[in-house]
Amino acid sequence: MSITRRTALALALATATTLAGAPARAADDIVIAGSMPLTGVFAFAGIGVHAGIQDYVKIVNDAGGIAGRKVVYVAEDTAYKVDQSVAVFNKLTSQNKVNLYYGDSTGFAKTINPELNRLGTMMMAGASFATELNDPKAYPLQFMAGPDYTEMVGILLQYIAKTKPGAKIAFVHSDTEFGRDPIGPSEAHAKKLGLDVVVKIVTPPTAVDVSTEILKLRRADPDFTIFHGYVLAPLPEFMNQAKQLGLKTKFMGTFWSMDNSLWGKVGEAADGFMGVMPYRYYYDAEGKSPMLEKIRAMRPEYQSTPYLQGFLTTMLYLESAKRVLEGGKELNGPNLKAALNSIKDFDTGGIIGTPITITGNSIPVGRVYRYDAVKKAMLPNSDWIQLGK
Amino acid sequence: MRIATAKESYAADEALFDTPTQRVWLALFVAVCALFPFTANEYWLYMACLVAIHVISVTGLNIVTGFTGLVSLGQAAFMGVGAYTVAVAETRFGTPVLLNLIAAGAITAAVGAVVGIPSLRVKGLYLAIATIASSFILHFVFANWNSVTHGVSGISLPPASILGVEFGRPFALYFLIVPIAFLAVFSASNLFRTRIGRAFIAIRDRDISAEVLGIPLLRYKLMSFALSSFYAGVAGGLWAYFFRVVTPESFPFVYSIFFLAAVIVGGMGSILGSILGAVFMTMVPEVLKLGVGVMSPFLSDAVALLSPVRTIVFGGLIIGFLIFEPHGLAEIWRRIRRFFHLWPFKT
Repeated sequence: MSITRRTALALALATATTLAGAPARAADDIVIAGSMPLTGVFAFAGIGVHAGIQDYVKIVNDAGGIAGRKVVYVAEDTAYKVDQSVAVFNKLTSQNKVNLYYGDSTGFAKTINPELNRLGTMMMAGASFATELNDPKAYPLQFMAGPDYTEMVGILLQYIAKTKPGAKIAFVHSDTEFGRDPIGPSEAHAKKLGLDVVVKIVTPPTAVDVSTEILKLRRADPDFTIFHGYVLAPLPEFMNQAKQLGLKTKFMGTFWSMDNSLWGKVGEAADGFMGVMPYRYYYDAEGKSPMLEKIRAMRPEYQSTPYLQGFLTTMLYLESAKRVLEGGKELNGPNLKAALNSIKDFDTGGIIGTPITITGNSIPVGRVYRYDAVKKAMLPNSDWIQLGK
Repeated sequence: MRIATAKESYAADEALFDTPTQRVWLALFVAVCALFPFTANEYWLYMACLVAIHVISVTGLNIVTGFTGLVSLGQAAFMGVGAYTVAVAETRFGTPVLLNLIAAGAITAAVGAVVGIPSLRVKGLYLAIATIASSFILHFVFANWNSVTHGVSGISLPPASILGVEFGRPFALYFLIVPIAFLAVFSASNLFRTRIGRAFIAIRDRDISAEVLGIPLLRYKLMSFALSSFYAGVAGGLWAYFFRVVTPESFPFVYSIFFLAAVIVGGMGSILGSILGAVFMTMVPEVLKLGVGVMSPFLSDAVALLSPVRTIVFGGLIIGFLIFEPHGLAEIWRRIRRFFHLWPFKT
C-alpha cells in the first residue's frame, strides 16, 4: 500500500513539475484569454461563448492571422465564481502575454478592472452587459459586444412606444444585481416615452411558484410585461399561468433569455414571447450575412445566442488589434480601446443587421424578435433599433 | 524513530510543539512561507492568499462546529458582515487597516453571538437550519440596507494601505494575510489548552455533563459562536481587501457549505484539520485544472470537454475521503507521522 501511495505521490509531483512550465508561444502572438463559466449555473452561456471565440479565432488564423501574427486563445473554467475567475485571470496573465480578455460576470469585471487599468496591457469584454460597466470614465478598458441591460430594456420600450403609445408596462425582475440593474433608469425612460409603469415585481432568481406574482400582474393588467434577470425559469411558468387566467399582457425579455433552443424546449407556452436581440440568429437567412454562412458551414447544427456573442466579441477584439497594428502602435489596453472606439459604420458580416459604431463601452443596437411555436423559431418582429437615433 | 521525548513537567506535556524535530520542521515551514512570495508568480501568490483567508475562516468554523459540536451554516454570511464592516470603515471613515480588521472581527463576533442564541435550545440539524435562516436574514440586510451597503451593486474599496505601503497586489497582500492566518491558527491552537477551549470540548462531548461540571452553557456556547464569528469577520475583512468589491452575491450560501465541507474533509475538532481542509478544498479544483491542462495536447478543446468531469472528480474525492477516512485529512497526516515515529520498527 505504502509503495503505491508513494508512486502515486511521485507521479503527481512529476505531473505538477512538468506543468509548471508554460506552453511555448511565439513572442508576437496575439493572445485572447478567458475566464469561462464552463460549469455551474451559467455553463450554457460559457460553452457557447467558448465555441464562438474558438471559431472566429480559427477563421482569422486560417486566413493568415492579424497582420501576419497568429491569434491564440486560452481559457479556463471558473464555475461562474468570482474567486475562481480571478484565479484564472492571474494564472493566464502570468503564463501568457495576454492582449485581450474575456470575463464571465459583472462581479469579476468590477473586481478586475482596477488591475486592468494598472497593467494597461489589455482590453476586456465579457458576458456582463451591466449598466455600471458602460462608463468609459470608470471602466476605460472595458466594453461589451451589445447594448447594456438598460439599453436593452430601452430598445424594448422604444418598440412598445412605437407600436402601442401610452401602453401599460410591468417589470418583473430577479432579486439579484443582474435583475435590478436596468430597473431604475428604465422606469424613468418609460416615463419619458409616455409609457405607464404599473407594477414592479421582484422574485428570487430561482422562483418556482409564481401564483402570487401572477395575481399582482392580473390586478395591474399591463399591456407588456418585461422580464429581466433570469435565463429561462420562471418565465414559462408565468406565461402558462397568465394564459390560464386569460391575461392579455405580452411577455418580453432581454438577451440572456433569448436563446432559441431554450424556448424550443418550452413548447406551446413559449408562443408569442418577445425580446431584444443584438444579433441575428444562427438560422436567419434574410439579408446578406457572410459570417453567418461561414458559421453554418463550420457547424451544421444550431448555435446558441451566447455563441454569437462570443463570436462577435472576438471579431471586435481582433478588428481593434488590426487597427492598432496597422497604425504602427503598440498593442496595449489604451491603444486597443482607442482603436475599438474608432470603429464607425462597421460591417459585422451580418451578425448585426446594421452597421455599428462604438463610441463608448457598448453597442446600443438591437432588434425585437418574437417566438413562433409552430415554426419553433425566434422571428424578427421589428427593424434594427439604434438608441440615440 | 522518535526517542527521548519523556516529559518532566506539565508545561512540557502541554507544549504545542513538543519535540525539537517538530520545531525544526515548523521553522522550515515558516521560512518557506516567508520566501515563497519571492519565487512564485502572481497566480500562486493569489492562491496562497485565498488559501490563507479560507484557513482563517475554516479554523473559526472548526471552533464552533468541530470543537463545540454546534453545526453552523452561517460562516459565509458572517464573512460578509466582516467584509462589509471593512468596506464601510475604509470608504467612509478611512480608518487604519488593522483597526478595520479588528472592528470587522468584533462586529461579526457580536452578530455571531446573537445568531448563536438558538443554540441554547436546539442542536444538530435544528441548529443548522436556524443558522441557515440567520444567514438568509443577513443576506437580505446586505442587499437592502442601501444607505450602508449600497444595495445590490455593493461597495468598491481602495487597496489597503499601512504606513504608506499599498497592499494592492497578491505579492503585497501575502505579507498582510499570511501572518494574520498564522496568528489566527496559533491562537486557536492555544485556545484549546485553556479552560475556555476545554469547556468547548466538554460541551461537544456531552453538554449536560459539562453543565454538571460547572460550565455555564449559555456563556460558553455564545462565546464559541462569537469566537468563531470573530475569525469569520477577520477572514471576511481580508477578503474585502483582497477582492476590493463587496456585493451581497460575494458570500452565497454555498460558500458556507464549502467551509463546512472543508471542516469535515480536514478533520472535525482538529486545528491541523482546518488547515488541511482549507488547502484541500481550495487547491484540489486547481490541481484538477492542471490535469485538464495536461490533456489538452492530446484532446482538442480539453477545457470544454473535461471541465464538467473535473467537478465530478472533485465531488468523488470528497465522498471518497468521507468513506475511507472519516476523521479527515488530519488523521491521514497523523498516520504518516506515526509511521516515521516508529520507523524502522513497525511500518
